[in-house]
Amino acid sequence: MNAFQKSMSEVRATEELKRNTLQYLNGQQEKKGRTKSRHILRYALVAACLLLLVGTGSYSVYRKPVSYISIDVNPSIELGINRFGTVVSAEAYNEDGQNVLQHVSVKNISYIHAINRLLADESDLLYLREGSLLVFTVISDQPHSIMEELQANEFTQTYETLLYTSDTDCMAEAHSHEMSFGIYRAYLELSLYDSSVTVEDCHGMSIGEIQTRIEGCRHHNAAQEQNGQEQNETQGHHNGHHGGHH
Amino acid sequence: MKSAEDLNRAMETYADMVRRICFVHLKNRHDSEDVFQNVYMKYLLHDGSFDSIEHEKAWFARVTINACTDWLRYFSRRKWVPLEVVDDEKESLDDTSAELLETVLKLPEKYRNVIYLYYYEEYSAVEIAKILGKKENTIYTWLSRAKEILRDKLGGEWA
Repeated sequence: MNAFQKSMSEVRATEELKRNTLQYLNGQQEKKGRTKSRHILRYALVAACLLLLVGTGSYSVYRKPVSYISIDVNPSIELGINRFGTVVSAEAYNEDGQNVLQHVSVKNISYIHAINRLLADESDLLYLREGSLLVFTVISDQPHSIMEELQANEFTQTYETLLYTSDTDCMAEAHSHEMSFGIYRAYLELSLYDSSVTVEDCHGMSIGEIQTRIEGCRHHNAAQEQNGQEQNETQGHHNGHHGGHH
Repeated sequence: MKSAEDLNRAMETYADMVRRICFVHLKNRHDSEDVFQNVYMKYLLHDGSFDSIEHEKAWFARVTINACTDWLRYFSRRKWVPLEVVDDEKESLDDTSAELLETVLKLPEKYRNVIYLYYYEEYSAVEIAKILGKKENTIYTWLSRAKEILRDKLGGEWA
């Protein structure tokens, strides 16, 4: 030990100094802890207010449907889909549809998930059999992406699936007649072939029945056209003209 | 923020060194105790980690020296320490030690620091340079001049 170390060796922190310092620091630590708690509380309040403000906006965005899918089998159901692809509304447009929605929960899940859940329902309320007709009518700003996704799904392999698009005007008219826009679109198509058919006629019909009539009309029209062409060709021959030239 | 466990350990390990550095710089026991508390408060709030015990010790030495300097500057006190600080400790010191301390405490602040760190804590000039944030050559110069003053005043082993 050198002389300086010897002279300094008696200069020490007393136990009292250490104790007082630790007490002081513990007091400061507690005070800081309390201040921190107050700060945390304040931040939590601010965060809660922000969340409420932003959340209210987000929630209204979440709740707002931007696309719709009308699913028509015998039951007619319309799903409202928000911009995140989640089902936010489900409406039934006949008694069968109401029964289905009472048994199957389709809200707050993706529309594909919702459709699969409807199709997989064991209560068989959709009356689906292999080869049954399944008609999806889509209203959306980007209907093709929804249609592609539907087309890619497994149920298109099991059932005869038809995909159509429609628009909100058609939906509004459909709802004024208390029918799904899928059924209404089918009625409009049918009315092109058969001007005698009315909305009331279609009201109690399943999509399968309307579709069968549409197909019937198409065949009938096609047959008439065929006959017309054949008659024209016969007349043409008689007149010395080739119908193909018209 | 450091845990209570860290604080207790640092108190047991470095309290004497902090107290001695305060003694070398400050006017009286009261000031020493205030700076002593400030140093440990800085430790409590220190978020960084230390690579080793040596690193931690050097941190305490540097922070205590800076705290003493700040204290003196803040209160516009004299950089030269009067002898009452030695009076506080006189009961436990023999005559030779008291004379040596009185002489060291009369040194300019920069010389007091290097004498304390070099002779008491036995840091090398390189280590002192790091603690004080000075060039190594500066530390050698300060040490040489401090020893020269002590030699003039005390003779003996300083000669």
